[in-house]
Amino acid sequence: MPILQIREALREAIDEEMERDDRVFVMGEEVGYYNGAYKVTQGLLEKYGEQRVVDTPIAEAGFAGVGVGAAMAGLRPIIEFMTFNFSAVAFDQILNNAAKLRHLSGGQFTIPMVFRGPNAAAHMLSSTHSQAFESFYCGFPGVKVVSVATPYDAKGLLKSAIRDDNPIIFFESEVMYGVKGEVPEGEYLIPIGQADIKRPGSQVTVITWGQGVPITLEAAKMAEESGIDCEVIDLLTLRPLDRDAILQSVKKTNRAVLAYHGWPYGGTGAEVADLIAREAFYDLDAPVERVCYEDINFSYAENLEELAIPSPKQIFDAIAKVAYHSL
Amino acid sequence: MATIVELPRLSDTMEEGVIAKWHIAEGDKVKRGQVIADIETDKATMEYESFDAGTVLKIVASEGDTHPIGTPIAVLGKPGEDFEEALAGAGGGSKAKAEPEPQEEPESTEEPEPESTEEPESTQEPEPEPAAPSSDADDRVAASPLARRLAHEAGIALSTIEGSGPHGRVIKADVDAAIEGGGGGGTGTVSDGERTFVTRPDTPMKLSQMRKTIARRMGESNAEIPHFYLTIDLDMAGAVAMRTQLKAALPDVKISYNDMVILAVAKALQKHPEVNAYWDGKTIVRRGDIHVGMAVAVDEGLIVPPVRHTEQRTLSEVAGITRSLGTRARDKKLPPDEMTGSTFTVSNLGMFGIEQFLAVINPGEGAILAVGAIRDEAVVVDGALQPGKRMRVNLACDHRVMDGAVGAQFLVTLRGYLEQPLAMLA
Amino acid sequence: MTSTIPSTQAPDKDEVARVFKEMLRIRRFEELASRAYTQGKISGFLHLYIGQEAIAVATADLMKDGDRVVTTYRDHGFAISLGCDPGACMAELFGKKDGLVGGVGGSMHFFDKDKGLWGGYAIVGGHLPVAAGHAFASKYLKDDAVTLCFLGEGAMHIGATHEGMHLAGLWKLPVVFVIENNQYAMGTPLKRQTLVDDLTVRAPAYRMTSDRWEVNDIFETRRRLAEAVERARKDHQPALIELLTYRFRGHSMSDPAKYRTKDEVEGWRKKDPLYRAEQRLRDDHGFDDEAIESIDDAVVDEMQAAVDFADASPQPDPEHRFRHHLVEDV
Repeated sequence: MPILQIREALREAIDEEMERDDRVFVMGEEVGYYNGAYKVTQGLLEKYGEQRVVDTPIAEAGFAGVGVGAAMAGLRPIIEFMTFNFSAVAFDQILNNAAKLRHLSGGQFTIPMVFRGPNAAAHMLSSTHSQAFESFYCGFPGVKVVSVATPYDAKGLLKSAIRDDNPIIFFESEVMYGVKGEVPEGEYLIPIGQADIKRPGSQVTVITWGQGVPITLEAAKMAEESGIDCEVIDLLTLRPLDRDAILQSVKKTNRAVLAYHGWPYGGTGAEVADLIAREAFYDLDAPVERVCYEDINFSYAENLEELAIPSPKQIFDAIAKVAYHSL
Repeated sequence: MATIVELPRLSDTMEEGVIAKWHIAEGDKVKRGQVIADIETDKATMEYESFDAGTVLKIVASEGDTHPIGTPIAVLGKPGEDFEEALAGAGGGSKAKAEPEPQEEPESTEEPEPESTEEPESTQEPEPEPAAPSSDADDRVAASPLARRLAHEAGIALSTIEGSGPHGRVIKADVDAAIEGGGGGGTGTVSDGERTFVTRPDTPMKLSQMRKTIARRMGESNAEIPHFYLTIDLDMAGAVAMRTQLKAALPDVKISYNDMVILAVAKALQKHPEVNAYWDGKTIVRRGDIHVGMAVAVDEGLIVPPVRHTEQRTLSEVAGITRSLGTRARDKKLPPDEMTGSTFTVSNLGMFGIEQFLAVINPGEGAILAVGAIRDEAVVVDGALQPGKRMRVNLACDHRVMDGAVGAQFLVTLRGYLEQPLAMLA
Repeated sequence: MTSTIPSTQAPDKDEVARVFKEMLRIRRFEELASRAYTQGKISGFLHLYIGQEAIAVATADLMKDGDRVVTTYRDHGFAISLGCDPGACMAELFGKKDGLVGGVGGSMHFFDKDKGLWGGYAIVGGHLPVAAGHAFASKYLKDDAVTLCFLGEGAMHIGATHEGMHLAGLWKLPVVFVIENNQYAMGTPLKRQTLVDDLTVRAPAYRMTSDRWEVNDIFETRRRLAEAVERARKDHQPALIELLTYRFRGHSMSDPAKYRTKDEVEGWRKKDPLYRAEQRLRDDHGFDDEAIESIDDAVVDEMQAAVDFADASPQPDPEHRFRHHLVEDV
């Protein structure tokens, strides 16, 4: 099976969908002539031309809104944010237009579009460029939110996202575009709304997504060495949640840890913890643990940033804690 | 103003109760008198009718939870009304109960309760105890929700399990170990070198409210009451003959020997009021009324519903009452006021072939009669052997209330009624 | 800030040597930062100011006490020209305790309030309304201060820019918006960002005065900037100025800048104000190699000392990350 980087898998997804449906187009800063700030869209301008690979000025609110309008009129835009930090500028377009116009129009319009780009902290970019946006975009109805961590998931889910008739927030990671993995040749889709068990296990359920996935798998390996068998669930879709996958696993293991890149206050981590508390309370043998960002604005300094971001060791400690494993 | 629904006191010995089932949900409208919950008391599962009308703003107590009397279990009011303050202020429900009102204290003994034998029972307490929150140890045990559930399913009291989690929290592993026998590996084998034996662990059981009450009251009774016992063997030939005649004459009325014993006891108590009495801690209290209680075994223990004003009733009346009480008691349908209030208890194990036994006095009473089986045996009448019907009864007496002669005289009178049963009907 | 009022008279030898040195300080600082980045001492994004130094130096010269600079994430040049300690600046790039903001901001977020550097802003255009707000306060408080707000030409196409300019014009705020048009918004040349050649055509719509020139001569730049600043100060007349300049490096350290030709870069090198100042010293004031090098050596020594200082500075105290999120978080 071919080994691709995440950026290549994403590119294949976009390429295949553009090939399949000429209403699909890409728009964003540096997506064309520059071949993408992170090279996701490399070669697409050459193949599809300026009409379908559209470089924009620095105008997030503008091109996000253009995407919404184009989607309402029958196109299927892929809007790239160079980073989701810049989506804050376009937040009104996503919150008040993309997410609401179908409802506001009584179902007259569909908004089939994807807002995609890297999310969460990368490395030493300080506070304005190190933010995880899942708590914002999962916090309102009218959108679906996806977060990928492997080339296989990236391709299969991005294709599904492009074909979905709803606005999809699609989170990637700056530090993971180079992550390699097997991607089957030929067409495949991964349904939105389904979590994936990245590692089956019996004793502790660790729920994660995005940049949390690799560090969680590392923590699970540490746990294995200590005799704790972890099940690692990659949510993949953060909204709507795959409740069954979460509850089924927790009912099996009786213990849950949330490990993710994101702030602790509110958000998907809190939502999942709440779900478990309400739906699997009497299956819990320990309080649900959450390992995530510290509740602070990020600092540039390497040591301060490291402390704010969850580490495999911290996740392992949480796993050991819920497993009542004495260290 | 929001109304706080508190856990009601549905029996006079109830100190805490379990919400067996809610019939309402948050947001429902409730009418006065509407059944809102089934509440498991120490005696029975009761339907609880609302005293108030309103919208259910909050269900505070969950099904399966145990709470002291007076604990807020729900809030009624107007939709959207802020009830947090009212709820916070109402926390005192249980606290209020923790300090019984002074005037209630002495009176609480007014309806002492019968008792039976090995099956203790409770009803009324000589000294009402505060519904101390600590009374249910399990509620205070730090345990994971899973451990709580597993322990409940296994019928193991959490309070008997040592927790190995943080701050002594009982966790799944501890419950598993308890189920398997204190962590010793559960069911296993031991060998004495020649043979191998299977060993199984002890299992601490989760107690029902009734069993808890029985355990407590019987312990108190045995510890506090100086029992003495008198046994007498009765000729039941006359009673048997009369029952046969009554059966033929009144086919619709089913009269048991126990009914005859109960009525005979009542008549005897009428003649010996010193036996229809109890020790209240300071003095002997003679009961004005005669309410003979009958011990009834139910699933989780036993209860002693009284036949009120027994001595003033006919035998067929007594029979009708005992049948009804027995049936409803076994169905857990007996309301508290029908379960309590006996002044003397009759406990009968004759149906099991028990010839004779000694019973434990129900606190609040002065004596209890333990009734054995009617035996066919050869008896000597006028120097000749002939078939006879005999029945042994044993009277357990509180020595503080009466002495041996008093008890003996009571038994002699009782014998008179049972051996010449027509006297009861006179 | 020196608050040297620029005159129209030809600068003397010392003045030319001074501005040459000031510009060189920025360039050498940036070059050492670039090296440190390649050595892994600096992470994240590093946007260099090489080629644009004259703007920062001219600005620092004309500012008066209380005046402020609000700029973009390409902010090191202003920090150096406004008198921030180069050691503190370098330590900030290194993420060290003695950094300008204690290591929390890094390259894109320089702040030194007392020196008049009211911020390097990392979200494009987001700082224009803020700059207008500073000017609003100046007018409100009658403190006679002017806010100089710098932006890249790429920021001319984002909403916040226009809202900020619009309010400044509507309320006649003492603010001067200065577009440092270095020709590329990251990799996108201006002609693919906008169809206008002259970015100041927006000024009349916002009732701002405007000016536009290529930054070849630092003295001309200083003089023309000062005119706008003083108009803002005296008449509360906001202005929009477009400075045509060039960055000789990529957008950031990771940008190979393949989108432009060698010829283009060489063409701009000849117009580099630093180069032209050096030529002026040589041609008009008799500076030889040795004289130039002696200035350069002093500058390199100073900036190498800054690197050494940053190297020696410890990492921030771990507890520092909990500070300053709210006023209470001392």
